[in-house]
Amino acid sequence: MGMPHFTISGHRFELEQSGIERCLQDRLPDPVQEHYVVVLGRRFPPKQVIACATGLDRADFTTHQARRILRRLGFVAARAAHEEEASEAEVGVWPRSGRQASALTPYVGKWVALAGPTEVLVAAETPQEVLGWLAQHDRKAPYGMFRVPATVAEAEGAAPE
Amino acid sequence: MRFDFLELPGQAGALFRPVVPVQFEDLEEAPQFCLVDTGSTANRFGGWLAEATGVDLAGAPETTVNLGGVMTTARHARADLTIAGLRYDAPISFCDPWPFAFNLLGQEGFLRFFRVTLCAAQGWLDVEPEGPGAKPGMRS
Repeated sequence: MGMPHFTISGHRFELEQSGIERCLQDRLPDPVQEHYVVVLGRRFPPKQVIACATGLDRADFTTHQARRILRRLGFVAARAAHEEEASEAEVGVWPRSGRQASALTPYVGKWVALAGPTEVLVAAETPQEVLGWLAQHDRKAPYGMFRVPATVAEAEGAAPE
Repeated sequence: MRFDFLELPGQAGALFRPVVPVQFEDLEEAPQFCLVDTGSTANRFGGWLAEATGVDLAGAPETTVNLGGVMTTARHARADLTIAGLRYDAPISFCDPWPFAFNLLGQEGFLRFFRVTLCAAQGWLDVEPEGPGAKPGMRS
């Protein structure tokens, strides 16, 4: 079976999942507005993914087209949920009832910048990359930035092994 | 000002750490989470932060310290921190290498400027400016 092909903005492209993953492995995701697709465990705007894979300008196709293509290639696509404050009943004794820890789990060992308690704007290997991304996209991380510890010992103040 | 403990992923459930968001110099877009370390005499920050914000460490006195099992070079300087609405000039040891998850807030550069109340049972800490000149928005 050959590589799937798609026609986008009058151009024909052969695309496959592994090629798209290679294209994005060293890129940081742009801010997600509404829709995203999951590539290598990170959420990317669909248009960023297709633009990266094809070299097309993002104005040449729609988010809907990009989503449809990426879903056909096997990527998970979804709509970003806006952060909701938990009700008092959900909160319990601890402020976030583990929701914050769950939100941070995919980013263990990475530097993250947060817009809110569970809203990760960007994750990267170095703090300089995080600051660069914020500057490039003119974004602020009002909640804060730090490196998500990889172990209990790191969370307690030890250095990584 | 009250801050919730930070919930971190752990192997056996979430871990909760008393951290405070700190604006370093004029880096408004990304407050740095700092761990409140009552056992530390000094504020200890990653050296990268000084470099990223243009704090000049040339000629700063240096010492070698062992932090959490890591030998690191600490360069001692001052920088503006904004915590709980108070901007003040704080002594900071900028350390390199700095492989840790958080900067550390200690006695001389933090605790002597604030009254800190911790409630680990409910996962919060209150940080209120304290002492002469400790008016929110004013430099000490």
